[in-house]
Formats: sequence, structure tokens, C-alpha cells
Amino acid sequence: MTAVELDRPRAAPRAAWRLTLGRFLSDRAAVASLAAFALVLFASFAGGPIVSAIVGHNGFQQFPYATDASLDPVGGWSRVPTTQQVRLDEYGNVLPPPKGSTKTLMVLGGDGPLGRDEFIRVLDGGKASIEVGVFAVLISALIAVPLGCLAGFYGGKVDAIVSRLTEWVMAFPLIFFLVFATVHLTSTLRPIGWGHDIPAGVPMVALLIGVFTSFYPLRLVRAQLLTLRNSEFVDSSRMVGASGLRIIRKDLLPHLIPTLLVWGAVAVATDMLLEVGLSVIGVGVQSSTATWGTLLAQTTGTIYNAGFGGGDHHTTWHTVWPTLAILISVVSLNQLSESLRRAIEPWRR
Amino acid sequence: MKRIGFFLTRRIAGGVLTLVAVVTFTWLMYWSISPQPGRFVYPAGIKITNFQLADGAHRLGADRPKLTQYGDWWWHLLHGSFGQRWTGATLNDNVLTTAPVGPLLYPSVRETLSILLGGAILAVLISVPLGAIAGRRVGSLADRVISIGALVGVCTHPIVTGKLLTQWFGIDLGWLPIGGYCSFVKHPPPAGLPANFPTCGGPVDWATHLIMPWFTFAFLFLALYTRMIRASVAESIHEDYVRTARAKGARERRVMARHVLPNASLRVLTMVGMDIGTALGVAVFVEFAYGIPGLARLSIDAMTGDPLASATDLPMLLAVVTMITLIVVIGNLVVDTLYAVVDPRTGTADRPGRTKEIAAGVM
Repeated sequence: MTAVELDRPRAAPRAAWRLTLGRFLSDRAAVASLAAFALVLFASFAGGPIVSAIVGHNGFQQFPYATDASLDPVGGWSRVPTTQQVRLDEYGNVLPPPKGSTKTLMVLGGDGPLGRDEFIRVLDGGKASIEVGVFAVLISALIAVPLGCLAGFYGGKVDAIVSRLTEWVMAFPLIFFLVFATVHLTSTLRPIGWGHDIPAGVPMVALLIGVFTSFYPLRLVRAQLLTLRNSEFVDSSRMVGASGLRIIRKDLLPHLIPTLLVWGAVAVATDMLLEVGLSVIGVGVQSSTATWGTLLAQTTGTIYNAGFGGGDHHTTWHTVWPTLAILISVVSLNQLSESLRRAIEPWRR
Repeated sequence: MKRIGFFLTRRIAGGVLTLVAVVTFTWLMYWSISPQPGRFVYPAGIKITNFQLADGAHRLGADRPKLTQYGDWWWHLLHGSFGQRWTGATLNDNVLTTAPVGPLLYPSVRETLSILLGGAILAVLISVPLGAIAGRRVGSLADRVISIGALVGVCTHPIVTGKLLTQWFGIDLGWLPIGGYCSFVKHPPPAGLPANFPTCGGPVDWATHLIMPWFTFAFLFLALYTRMIRASVAESIHEDYVRTARAKGARERRVMARHVLPNASLRVLTMVGMDIGTALGVAVFVEFAYGIPGLARLSIDAMTGDPLASATDLPMLLAVVTMITLIVVIGNLVVDTLYAVVDPRTGTADRPGRTKEIAAGVM
């Protein structure tokens, strides 16, 4: 060690979030999962309009000739007449379309007797599914952070009530609570929506999922505050006369952000899976609205409706497209969460 | 011995308290939704007058004072009866006929328990070797393949697994029946049919009908358990006692089986206990995918009620809730007892950690 080296100007210490970002970006799995989820986001929100503009029809238009005489949908990449009128012979059988009618490219066959472009519907469905996931996470964070802070910081009776309630609710399958609540709130809450951007039913499903999943972040926040509330920086704040709420707001909330980020990424994924489950049971978003859950329920059927699962009126693609979409987004979100955790807490492999 | 007796008594008392709480909560929830039990009596779908609603409720005994109904339900339960189902009530010549809950409930409990137990055994049997292989060399090719497989397993909805398995093994290959349930004991054909009428039953039929549900159920938990065993093995493989065992010339298999894997057994047991509730939620979808009218499916049906009536079948719901609570409580009791046996130090202590957060999406 020589004097020259000591005299060299030292680099400014880098901010903690920059170090975290550096670790995150140098992790191949992290970048890959981020890219995959960005792709899913792009495909869901911009993909539908773009594909519609290219092929000239959207996911709401129905093409009677997209199904053959026995109502079986045509396969992928088929050309289908765009005419809306079906000509029947005197026995009621469907006649082939008139010669020279304009043709259009159907990326995937229509679903059952309705004849809509399934591929565009999967793209559109992503929008509703991701909205459900994101809104539900925001709602459960809104419930969990204040309650968790109160329970973890003040302890005592609030903490006892919150903890017992959490334990008790979590011992039972969440899906039962959700189904019970959805069934009896459907008539009042399901019509709420905002045009095509937030389809009707999405706010209801997001609200219910958000409320019933808020127990997980609640436990997380409470546990973290329990460990933090006796730390020295809290003591020093208290010594200069800060109130409890100010300590929570100024000193403790910033510490929760990494935890909430890691939880949020994985929670969006689990909430999307819950939406799928509700739709498959038949109590989620209206079945005419495309979400990945309702698209999947077309073939699996719901309790209200046997679906096409038993019959022949679907192709394997009707299962595969939504399944793939769900799988890609959920896997990428899970990996994103795992990578975030590794980047934030590299010492806890 | 005295301690274990005390522990068991406390646990059983806790279980009874849980049952009372859950049943009371169900009643409160039911009353809070302004129910219309009269819809079960009069044909659904058509417009139904207020008089008919009141009359239907009266015939079902749902217009009595709430406390009477509640007490009456417990009184009947103590006599071993869950009462009469509301769904399927028919009014003929001013006489109301209803079916008892039992004949629908008890077979469904058998079906759900068959799925749960078989699936849990399968999940543990497969995840232990996979977790051991992955955890022995963290970062190796086998570890990466297993870890990615586990990630995909966690992220796949059981309904999707069920759909794909049915498509491949049931329809395309035709190896297995695509759904339904066969009882473990072969019953003679129902009266009026010839004695050699082919009926479905017996251990072989039972198992072939349940193979796909077991795998569907196990796939999700397999992933969770493999991850956990991998972490446990990776932690303890570098411990001193493992090195000592190797130095003394123990074979690799013995090292794993006697010194490394027992560390994971406690955690597996903990997770099994914690996941009983989750498992019932997963069972909804497994039963749904294979058309098995099990307990979980029955509970959804009771909650949603008759689709046309959109009313909740309270006696059925209460019966199902009681059964689910009993399964959760007894399952936890068994796991706690095993826990006390496996690790005497923590016999009556609270158990650590749970995996429900991870599996929340499908439960």
C-alpha cells in the first residue's frame, strides 16, 4: 500500500437504490422476467388495437361463417367471409357464403357458435386480467399498510384483534369467502365499470380479491414494524419529540417499500390466478367480457354453463392461448419478485 | 405423558371452539345477505310473489326466530342430523317434500378425502427425491431444471393442469377415464337392474379414476414442497455432522436419508398441517376439472344455490362448513401430535412459517 493510492480521490458513495438497481440489472433472470412482463403488458394494452388495425376487425365482431355447419370453429390462420348474414336453405342448413364476398384473416377460429377472433380476445382479455391483479394489489395495500402499521407499531389490543382475525381467516380456503361474497354482491357491484378501458365487473372482482387477500401484506407489514419499532433511529426520533404517526410516516414507511415491492410483484400474479378461479367457478367477471379466466372457462365450463368442454365446439387452441398467457405473466411476475428480493437483500440468498 | 394428555385436551377444546365460531359466523353471514329461502319452494325463474316468498320460508321453517333456528340446528347436530336440504324441495298437493342432507354429504366427504390424502402422499413421495437432488448441488443443471419446473408448477392453475391432463391421457390417448368417481367398495347394482349389470367400484376402478386428480392436486404442492426441501437440504448439506458422516465412510444414500433429509421432515410436517385449508381450496378446482361431486364442489354449489333462484342453501352450507372445519381441525390435531412425536422439544409450541402466501392464488 503506497501513499499514491491513498491520495487518489475516492468515488462518491453510491446511493443504496443505485446499488440495488445495479444488482438487479446484472441478474439475467431479473432482466428476462422484466422483459417478459413488459411484453405481456404491451401485448395486453396495445396488442389488441394493433392487431385489429392490421387484420381489419376487432374482438367484438362476430363472423357467422367462422364456424362450420356443425358449429365447430375454424382453425387458426383461416380465411373467413366477413359477411354478417348467414344464408339458409329451406331445411335450415347453412349455405356456403356467396362468391366474391370480402375475406378477412382470422388469426384463430371463433369461440363456439359466436365466431369471434379468439386471438384478439386473448390480447384484450389480458387487459382486464392485469387490471384485476394490479387494482387488487393496490386495494389490499391500502388496507394492509395502515392496519399493519397500527398493529405492529402500537401493539396491544389492536394487534391482538388483527392477529387473531388474520389467523382465523387464513385457516380457511380463501376461495370460499370470495365465492360467498361475490354471489351476493354480483347484482349491485358487477355493472360498475368504465367503458372499454375498465370492463364492467373488473372493479368488483378486484375489490373483493383485494379485501380478502389483504391479510398477507398485513402480516408482512406487522412483522416488519415489530422488528423496526425498537430500533435506534426510532428511539432517536422519539427523543426529539416526534409523534407516533410521524415516526410511522417519516421513519418506518420507507423501510416497507422493498417488502411491499417484492410482495406486490408476486401478489399481482396470485390475484390474476384468483380471477381465473372465480371465472372458472362462474362468479367472476361477466362471461361475455374477455379475461383470461373467462376465456379459459369457455372450454372448462362453469357451474352455470357446461362450456364446450364436453362437446367438440372448441379447438385445443382455445385452452392453449389463455393458458400460455397466464403462465407467461405469472411465471415472469414470480421470477421478478424473487429477483427483486435478491437484489434488495443480497445477503439472504 | 401427562403433558401430552393436557396438550390433546387443549387442542380438542380449541377445535370445538373453532367449530362453534365458524358455524356462528356462517349463520351471521347468511342473515346479513337478506336471504330468500322461499325461492327454493316455489319454481324458480318465474316471478314470485311476496306471499309465496313468505309462505316458502314458513314451510322451510326459516321464518322462526333466529335464535330458535340456530339452537334447533345445534340440537339436531347433537343428535347426529344435519337436517333437510332446501335445494330440490318440491311442493305437491300442499305437502312439502325435502331430501335429507346426509346422502349427498357423506359420499362427498369420502371423495374429497380420497383426493386429499392420495394427492398429499403423492406430493410428498415425489417432492422428497426431487428436493434432495436439487438441494445437493445448488446451481447444477438438475437443480436448475427442477427449480424451473417448480416455478412452473406453482404458477399453473389446477384447472389448467386438469384440462391438459384430461385432454392428453383421457381423450387423445384414452388411457384413463376423463372424470367421475368410483367408490372404493364395490356395491351391487341398484334394485331393478340385473345382478351382472356393470357397475363402477372396487379398488382398481377407484384408483384409475383418481390418478389424474391426484397428479393435478399434487402438481401444485409438489412445487412448493420441492422448493422447501431443496432449501433445507442445501442448508444442512454443509453441516459438520454431514462431513463427519462422510468421513466415517457412510454411503451417499445413507448420508442423505439419515443425516440430511430428517431435517426437512419437520418442515414438511409443518407445511402439511398448514396447507390443509389451502388444500381444500385447491380441491374445489380438482373436483371441478374432473366432475367429481366432492365436498369442496358441494360447498360452492350450496353457496351459489340454485343458479336460477340465486339463493343459498343454508342447511347444506352449514353441513359442508361443519365437515370442512372438522377436516381442518382433525388434520391439524394429527399433525400436531405427530409433531410432538417427531420433535419432543417443541411439542406444544407454536409452529413456524406457512406457505399459504405462495399458494394464495389458487386456494
